[in-house]
Amino acid sequence: MAIMSANYLTKTFQGHTVVDDLSFKLEPGKCVALLGPNGAGKTTTLRMLAGFIKPSQGNIQFNEEQFAKDIRHYVGYLPQYPVFHNWMTGEEFLIYVGKLAYLSKNEAKTKAHELLDLVRLSDDKQKRIGKYSGGMKQRLGIAQALMHDPQLIILDEPVSSLDPIGRREVLNLIRELKKDATILFSTHILNDAEEVSDDILLLNHGKLLKQGAIQEIHSQQETKTIYLAFQDEPKFIEERLKEFNSVFNIKRENTGFAITVHDVNEARAQLLEVIQSEGWNLTKFEVLSASLEDIFIKAVTE
Amino acid sequence: MQWQTIYKKEMLDHWRHFKWIWVPIVFILFAVMDPLTAYFMPIILESAGNVPEGATIDIPTPSVGEAMIMSFNQLNMLGVLIAVVISMGLISRELSTGVYELILSKPVRYSHYMTAKFTAMMTLLSVSIILALITGWYYVTVLFGDLAFTQLLTSAIFYIFYFMLILSIVMVFNSFLTSPGLVAFLSIFTVVVLNAFTSIFDHVITWSPMLISDYIGTYIFSGEIETDLYFSTGIAIIISLLLLWLSIILLKRQEMH
Repeated sequence: MAIMSANYLTKTFQGHTVVDDLSFKLEPGKCVALLGPNGAGKTTTLRMLAGFIKPSQGNIQFNEEQFAKDIRHYVGYLPQYPVFHNWMTGEEFLIYVGKLAYLSKNEAKTKAHELLDLVRLSDDKQKRIGKYSGGMKQRLGIAQALMHDPQLIILDEPVSSLDPIGRREVLNLIRELKKDATILFSTHILNDAEEVSDDILLLNHGKLLKQGAIQEIHSQQETKTIYLAFQDEPKFIEERLKEFNSVFNIKRENTGFAITVHDVNEARAQLLEVIQSEGWNLTKFEVLSASLEDIFIKAVTE
Repeated sequence: MQWQTIYKKEMLDHWRHFKWIWVPIVFILFAVMDPLTAYFMPIILESAGNVPEGATIDIPTPSVGEAMIMSFNQLNMLGVLIAVVISMGLISRELSTGVYELILSKPVRYSHYMTAKFTAMMTLLSVSIILALITGWYYVTVLFGDLAFTQLLTSAIFYIFYFMLILSIVMVFNSFLTSPGLVAFLSIFTVVVLNAFTSIFDHVITWSPMLISDYIGTYIFSGEIETDLYFSTGIAIIISLLLLWLSIILLKRQEMH
């Protein structure tokens, strides 16, 4: 059973359609990456799912309930640029936010301490948020999203603005949360998506281009790349390889050749055979699966 | 419960930003400034010494009522200005910085958010007004003569509703604008226009809330509360509540992108 389903979501701002007829479901316990170039409508989609803005058309259902209450009860949301009351301490802010979500004072306190431990801010909980670093603020932002034990955690570009260390911290945190929560996060950094998410949703111009498990999307790819490197460059190699009908494209790179092929098995046999018979001194033979980046660029430019 | 949470947080906010210290002090200064200058002016002029020989300075000493009204008049101008300035960013600043995203992504009722902020600011203003007027009353009674304390206190309570109206005007502009400066400008502009309108038609619209301080003046002189004071205060309360309701609706409809 899906914990959330978005049905035919459309959002129009002043005659300009930002999100266009979007439908998808989220399964419990999955970590889903919402991918798309800047301006694809990712933030608008997440804001609708977080109950911030109302869809122009379509609806959002949680737990397949027909008459849902305020969907903000179900969702923990971290905006792209979280801004806090800088005069509060991290601990105060979490307790405040917890009480806003109808926790009692004691519940809020216990939960706040638990989460401060989880996001490793316990030592800084008495500090004013104004003195926190970017990474600390982002972690506090994740903690505040978790205060009311939401069914779905929505993170808008959680790592994009962070330095490599902050990025690593937050990704590790997401990996930890994945164990017992459903997460939907947007990003335009494909490595991040590949690293922590199970499924992806690929969005462009407000439309859903692709969705599914990462492996599935990988295996759907028609072309694969074989990477060859040699001790010294064989003569006429490009001409020789182009003869094979399994070879689609040859690209010369710094240290070798990236060869795009249709059928890996056939191409592998043919390539190895020609290498053997010509006596080329091969140093590297690698079958690369198309990176998410290739898939992304291909889908977005089509 | 949720309402109290926001209210307490707002009070803490005002406290941490020292508003609980400087706003009462500034209000008190406004309230005592004019009565004190009025009293000491002849003495100051005499001791200044550059008055030509033989010239007599005859500045009539104001009566108790006149002196007390000076306090109200100062608050009417400068007090309102301060009230607008400290509340111009109550919501608009949260909208422009983005804090509202974290707060309103929790199941917070917009009416709670709006009215708790309003009430916290009203608490600060009411305490400041009462402290200021009591201090003003103290100096006035010491320097100019007797005025019943209950009369002052009754006046102060009526006067608070005038500020309630001002604050609700500020809240309306807060609910859909993201620039605190613009909120302040439009709020003051509105007050000025309402004042001008009232003074042009003051024989027709005797119930205008802008006349509250005028009616308080007559009350201080006569000791009798006119029906017009009740009436204009009632109108102030009704309009304030309507404006608050309007600002909740405007905030709900607000869609940032």
